[in-house]
Amino acid sequence: MSHISFSRRQVLAWSALAGGLSAMPLASQAQGAKTALNLAMVGEPQTLDPMASSADLVATIMQHVYEPLYTFDAKWNVVPLLAEALPTISKDGLHYTIAIRKGVQLHSGRELDSADVVASLKRWMDVSPRGKAVAKEVADITPKGTHAIEIVLRNAYAPLLPQLALPSGMAAVMARESIATPLKDFVGTGPFRFKERRPDQYVLLTRFEHYAPRKEAANGYGGAREAAVEELRFIPVPNANTRVEGALAGQFHYADLLPIESLPRLEKSGGKVVPVMTPSFGFPYLVFNTKEGVMSALPLRRAVQAALGEGEMLAAGFGDTRFFVPEGNHFPKGTPFYSDAGVADYNERNPGKARTLAAQGGYKGEPIRVLTSRQYDFHYNMSLIMAEQLKRAGFKVDLNVVDWATLVQRRNDPKLWDIYVTHSGLLPEPMLSPPQLGDGAPGWWSTPAKQAALSAFNQETVPAKRATLWAKVQKVVFDEVPYIHVGTFNSLSARAPSVQGYVASTWPFFWNVKIK
Amino acid sequence: MSRLAGMLAVMAIVAVMVFVLTRAASGDPVSVLLGDQASAEDIARVQRQYGLDKPLVLQFGYWVKELVQGNLGQSIFLQRPVTQALWERAEPTTLLALMAVLIATCIGVPCGIVSAVFRGRAVDQFFTGLAMLGASIPSFWLGLVLMQLFAVSLGWLPVSGYGDPDASLIERLRHLVLPAGVLGMLNSALIIRFTRAAMLDVLDEDYVRTARAKGLGEWPVVLKHALRNALVPIVTVVGLTVALMIGGAVVTETVFGLPGVGNLVVSAVLRRDYPVIQGALLIVAMIYVVINFLVDLLYLWVDPRVKL
Repeated sequence: MSHISFSRRQVLAWSALAGGLSAMPLASQAQGAKTALNLAMVGEPQTLDPMASSADLVATIMQHVYEPLYTFDAKWNVVPLLAEALPTISKDGLHYTIAIRKGVQLHSGRELDSADVVASLKRWMDVSPRGKAVAKEVADITPKGTHAIEIVLRNAYAPLLPQLALPSGMAAVMARESIATPLKDFVGTGPFRFKERRPDQYVLLTRFEHYAPRKEAANGYGGAREAAVEELRFIPVPNANTRVEGALAGQFHYADLLPIESLPRLEKSGGKVVPVMTPSFGFPYLVFNTKEGVMSALPLRRAVQAALGEGEMLAAGFGDTRFFVPEGNHFPKGTPFYSDAGVADYNERNPGKARTLAAQGGYKGEPIRVLTSRQYDFHYNMSLIMAEQLKRAGFKVDLNVVDWATLVQRRNDPKLWDIYVTHSGLLPEPMLSPPQLGDGAPGWWSTPAKQAALSAFNQETVPAKRATLWAKVQKVVFDEVPYIHVGTFNSLSARAPSVQGYVASTWPFFWNVKIK
Repeated sequence: MSRLAGMLAVMAIVAVMVFVLTRAASGDPVSVLLGDQASAEDIARVQRQYGLDKPLVLQFGYWVKELVQGNLGQSIFLQRPVTQALWERAEPTTLLALMAVLIATCIGVPCGIVSAVFRGRAVDQFFTGLAMLGASIPSFWLGLVLMQLFAVSLGWLPVSGYGDPDASLIERLRHLVLPAGVLGMLNSALIIRFTRAAMLDVLDEDYVRTARAKGLGEWPVVLKHALRNALVPIVTVVGLTVALMIGGAVVTETVFGLPGVGNLVVSAVLRRDYPVIQGALLIVAMIYVVINFLVDLLYLWVDPRVKL
């Protein structure tokens, strides 16, 4: 008869292994069943400081914790959130008086007051790239009593309210005692409060029981907000196919930004998931180096514009025609800044005209260095088509395919590139993106026509007049070609059928969302 | 002592190579961290904050100085020490590697033995083919196929991640079954080949023939006389497999969204988080060295004739 025996050494070895494993950090233990939404996101947020980065992922998560003074409704109008109402603006457009809602609780249990708002906005202007742009226009911010503030501008600056309302690089209002750089305690006023972050595993937010919602009905990011579930779990799932499989298997309540090729599988899932399309999600654009190199000559930039067929590029980038709109207008129809100024120069795909313009511009066969990345498949696919279109028009093209980190470094050096390929979310205010409309962004576009058009646009505070002035800016962009707006694209996400009340949006939000 | 000095020398070479290779790749962590809207001044300010504006020699000197004191540095993105970031990810990677090695060994050793015993027969051809297949299939492809089968279609196992925040150890282990299965199956190919070759070598030895002549049955001969003597190369390849798992886990952890060391390395490379890349690669190299050393020690136990 055989028997199993252990030597003392073996027992010790197994004990050490078991001890080692139990000493490793374990996830928090069960507290009983919770209503929680498992949300598969595209990656790990760079930071949780909503001011420090303008990354969309940071905004998507932290907009549940922090709130700005203003936000956008479903039609991209600026509406109050922590502010009581829209501001009172002096006739010269320099003084903005903003009343703050009373009875708003911070996550620390104290009531929000004007000192918190002033301290937060000052930090925003100090830390946030967007805030810094606004800081140049602001002379002073002061509290007016306990529940109002005044912003004094140096010059009339119409984008102020949209800047204050944008979720990315957010002008987040935080408890003044929590303010630090880097931010360690995340004390805001949102319907969810920060609980825990485990990098590459999850960011956990829990319901804030003392949240003070607005009285108005929910409308876009505006109106009443309610934490209808107890917990939000933002889970980084960088592999897009894994997000698809996880959604199909019912592991995630929501899966963000899925490959368009996965749509047929989602549609044929037999009701396991509901595909969600977010229209006008973003726009790809090509930035030209106007400072150095072959593209610094305007006639050559115009030649490239004539050579390109943006429709073909979008088709290569996005495939399914439901997911892109070949349109030169920078804002879609039905939005306040829609204009067709200059769009005759869009999607020309005219190699003959391009050759003539290139010859007039003195093109001698220098290679055009196109900086692109495979981080986003559509960047790379569009770049391949663009290269072919340019070659057909007689240009030499040197396609530099690098990873994203390399691209964002190289684009800062004007000696290294002529065109780079990128994209942006479609934001409700033209001055928010692309950064080339501001000063100093890669591409270094700075001309008298740009300054004149943008100066008039930025100083006009009447919305209807701003729309007309935007048309002039758009025309200058087509005339001077500092960048090419390739078109508009929609995004694909998916939700579980049990998730109710989700509204497709650029920065997905999960207040007012229930699990059936 | 000389062995320890050799290990230290290897680590020193690895440290230099890791630093040089990391910095030789273009890209800048600060541009990625701050995003599109950051101005050149912002980027320069944060580069100063992390000492990235200093000459490379100085940066290297500072890193080595910290290393000697046992400090791997501070992650640029995670805002926590690299050692803490690695420790937080140690559990899934360790458990994944152990499970995968167990699966690889349980598949590889028996298949290798059977293959050797039935040399040239159909069963041998089958296992040899299986080993070839295992060596050729990319792990991400097998991962997606198994995911579709066991998670999406059958719903037996979770697709990805490491369980909910309040998941029990059993639940977390469930999340490891698919990735460990992928790693284990693919790596068993190597063990099949090595076990087969090692067994074939000893099955022709005189003492095996003697054992048979004594009238022992075939399987006692194979398992007690042949396998015992074939163990040295098998232990070597299992040890190598453990080391390979840590490298192989990079792709598998990414596909299955496991918050392990492999995933950390991939994220760190994409965002050029230099301290994390350097720290993680150094630790992985150290694990390789230690595993090799442990395998050497195991020889003593497996075969007392071996002298180190």
